[in-house]
Amino acid sequence: MRKPSNVLYGFDERAPRLVTVLSGLQHVGAMSMYLLYPVLVARAANAPPEVAASMVSLTLLAMAIGTILQDFRFGPVGSGYLCQPIPSVVYLLPSLLAARTGGLEVVFGMTIAAGLLEMAMSRVLRRLRPIFPPEIVGLVILLVGVATGLVGLRLVFGDSHSHRGVDGPSVELIELVVGFVTLAIMAGLNIWNRGYLRIFCVLIGMAAGYALSGSLGILSPGDMDVIAKAPVVALPTFGHLGWSFDPTLLLPFGVAAVAATLKVMGNVTTLQKANDADWIRPGMTQVMGGVLADGLGTVVAGSIGAQGLNSSPTVVGLAAASGVLSRYVAIPVAVLLAALAFLPKVGAVAYLMPRTVAAAALVFSSTFIIVNGIQVMTSRLLDTRKTVLIGIALLAGLAVDAEPSVLRFFPENWKAVLGTSLVLGTVVGLVLNLIFRMGVKRARSLTIAPGHVDPARIEEFLQESGEQWGARADVIERAKFNLVQSIEAIVEGCQPREPLEVEATFDEFNVDIRVSYNGPLIELPDKRPSNEEIMESEDGHRRLAGFMLRRHADRVSATQKAGRSTVTFHFDH
Amino acid sequence: VNLTEQKVGSVNIIEVAGRVDSANAPKLQERAGAIFASGDGSVLLDLAKVEYISSAGFRSLLLLARQAKETKKPFVLCGLTPKVRQLFDLGGFLDLLPVAATREEGIAAAQ
Repeated sequence: MRKPSNVLYGFDERAPRLVTVLSGLQHVGAMSMYLLYPVLVARAANAPPEVAASMVSLTLLAMAIGTILQDFRFGPVGSGYLCQPIPSVVYLLPSLLAARTGGLEVVFGMTIAAGLLEMAMSRVLRRLRPIFPPEIVGLVILLVGVATGLVGLRLVFGDSHSHRGVDGPSVELIELVVGFVTLAIMAGLNIWNRGYLRIFCVLIGMAAGYALSGSLGILSPGDMDVIAKAPVVALPTFGHLGWSFDPTLLLPFGVAAVAATLKVMGNVTTLQKANDADWIRPGMTQVMGGVLADGLGTVVAGSIGAQGLNSSPTVVGLAAASGVLSRYVAIPVAVLLAALAFLPKVGAVAYLMPRTVAAAALVFSSTFIIVNGIQVMTSRLLDTRKTVLIGIALLAGLAVDAEPSVLRFFPENWKAVLGTSLVLGTVVGLVLNLIFRMGVKRARSLTIAPGHVDPARIEEFLQESGEQWGARADVIERAKFNLVQSIEAIVEGCQPREPLEVEATFDEFNVDIRVSYNGPLIELPDKRPSNEEIMESEDGHRRLAGFMLRRHADRVSATQKAGRSTVTFHFDH
Repeated sequence: VNLTEQKVGSVNIIEVAGRVDSANAPKLQERAGAIFASGDGSVLLDLAKVEYISSAGFRSLLLLARQAKETKKPFVLCGLTPKVRQLFDLGGFLDLLPVAATREEGIAAAQ
């Protein structure tokens, strides 16, 4: 492992105390903007302000516990990387549904169930990879982004103008202006700035939105009273605590647990890459530990009456941008979060967030989630199967909102389960993935006559194979060079008289290219031949070919049996 | 492989397109070699449209570099795509052959 030059303190290094504390402060600032979500859940359950404030306090407490669980390692629990959890949008969507249909007790009960599912999935992550290929992962992220943006838009333009849990008046033009100004500040700071202004653009935008709302009378004197009356220091109250389980919500929360799992995998992998200039592939032990800690954090959250948590890409981005990746930053983060949990005014301020300010934060956040989803989906070669899968699943998800009658032939209880864009889109995507996997050959072969070597046809063979498998484009490009160059070297140097047999095989972790032919083995030297050797003899440039082939693959093997030679190039995937 | 030629001052620019492998590397070597042999200025190979280069292609480039040294004429390469640059790196040719970042820099270097 080699620390990249832009990293100041690696994940297992201790930064000076002041740097650690200031970095911790930054993280807490970035994490605190997500306290909006438990407030929205409390409002959806028509809970009074003091319950919403308690939920915020308890969510802070759960975040403190989740931070320690995630950023350190306790046996199999924890990733050891700085990717602590926040109240997550993936659990917000089903929580809103649960809060509206069954109240907060159902939210907490189902949150525990989702956390347990995440913990269980952490143990079988390797086996789950074929079920969750990147196009499904990207689709889920994209749908989370779309749903998040829609939650924001509904706060402003929805049919029921729900405001702080009760039906309120339609949005006033002045509120709309505040919302647009808030959004413009967030976007402007993010687009045209660097450093702290960019990192804290959402927090600054929300603060500006509050200030504008206060000065324009959107926040009433009564609202200010709520903040004034909240005690300065108090123990969080558990009066709202209770647990209940609703099987019809298992699917939405199950999908959320899957989305949460995928996000942790992405975050831990990102930090592994950021910490190691020689990074090749995800270290699964840390990834599994990260998912286990994330699930456990969500179980803790549900148990104490908080909203479901999930490792935050914002935190990861902040750590990567600042170059301080030390896990010891988690200590001041946890201490500060726990301290804030005992300050009820924090919860009161969060509860009074004007609806258009909340909407601006949700819409702004959704843009990044949407684009991230598209990037993950297109990170692999897309063939017709994947194109059709993504298109149909996305349309199915969007149809739930655009044309709800698509579910009219389903029984009522099914409609309740499938009736969100995230759930229906994900379920359709998963089912299509299982169906479309039929008939995909994991091994493909090609026969090449020595006198008729067509490099374009050989490359096309691997390109087609890669698209069918959903292999990474960069790995297939490397494999193409090795196959074409090896055939050129074999045909010239070994002069086989019979056709060459090529076999390409794939699983989620490996791409192997096997070339077999009748003739002597080609040379695959460890050492580069000298320039004189290359220029003076035909053998010299063939040895150069062998040297390049060996270096280009992750592993090479050459065997000979009964006059038949086989060369295998292995590429890690 | 397709070779397109152009002359800027004393610099003979050969734009190479397609694949440079054992089947067609001699064609490139022959054309650029003829320029050195005739004493008609320097050679700039623009590889921006090269999709693939094999060990035989690298051998031709080494031979051309030797011929350029013997005839005391500059021999420069430019326009390496990331994919082709990776192959140059793989074979240890980035430090051996003069590579310019752009065609303009290549022309300046080959004057």
